[in-house]
Amino acid sequence: MKLLTHNMLTSKCIRGVSVGYPLIINATEVKVNQTLFNSEFVSKLIPKVDWPVLYNAAESIGHSEDLPKEAPNDFEQNEEFLKKAHRALVEIEVISGNLVCPESGRKFPISNGIPNMLLNEDEF
Amino acid sequence: MGLPTPLYDLKDFPDVYEPSEDSHLFLDALEADQESILARSPKLACEIGSGSGILITGLAQLLKNSCAYFSTDINFSACRATAKTALINNSYVESVAMDLLGMFRSPFDVILFNPPYVVTESDEIMGRGLDRAYAGGCGGREIIDKFLATLPSMLSENGVCYLLLLKENNVEDIKEKIRGLGLKGRMVLERKIPGEHLFVFKYFR
Repeated sequence: MKLLTHNMLTSKCIRGVSVGYPLIINATEVKVNQTLFNSEFVSKLIPKVDWPVLYNAAESIGHSEDLPKEAPNDFEQNEEFLKKAHRALVEIEVISGNLVCPESGRKFPISNGIPNMLLNEDEF
Repeated sequence: MGLPTPLYDLKDFPDVYEPSEDSHLFLDALEADQESILARSPKLACEIGSGSGILITGLAQLLKNSCAYFSTDINFSACRATAKTALINNSYVESVAMDLLGMFRSPFDVILFNPPYVVTESDEIMGRGLDRAYAGGCGGREIIDKFLATLPSMLSENGVCYLLLLKENNVEDIKEKIRGLGLKGRMVLERKIPGEHLFVFKYFR
């Protein structure tokens, strides 16, 4: 699970959960896989990303490194920032661990890099 | 530029739907519509019920690294199969086990869905195994209708959804439904194969 994916997941459809975002990450294995950088793609992605959630997610698994706490206003032209954003969004991967609903404490196991977000019928 | 059928290897995943004529029709529809997809310059794409993963991998081969690719399936083996198919084809798909798109908070620019469209008894929609890849319940519509109800909230402003349908799903009735949801629809391809008349439709705002 890349942190871009974490940025997009919520547990709000669990009965009794109102926001369910962001999910807490408990990682037991994290990998960093280099991928081809595409500055245009990353800059178009930034407006779709909840940046503080991304920063906190990276920090919570020990990979905030030199990621800024806020996205700069000039992010479209800021190649250095876009490279850091690329790394945080699509290079850091949680291979195993759990995602945890911040309200209900429901755990969603991550194995083989795949979060299992399946709910039982009595949960929604 | 043609869209080759992505390679796949399901030997470790016996409970995952093997690509068939419906899958190939879907790939042909994506290929036929590639210019229109590229013109939307999508950034987030997701396939629902990805199974082997050849559709989202095919899309990834079309759009390359200008877009991020996701997939969902209720069968965890299928999630693994999709991730593997992407890798075999030098692509990358973020696979997540979930029902439809229910655990995503934000909309997608491209949604692909080859749904369980076969007309079956409602009680055949049970469990998370291979049967779920085709069992569509009453009119083959039970999963399709559940999906369509969520589509307006999961499709981005400039987004497009590709959906495969069977004639018996009552395509005319689905057209009405799409209008009722405030979306536009167009048929991309249709094909008659032994026993099935299949369509790929696209929906957008």
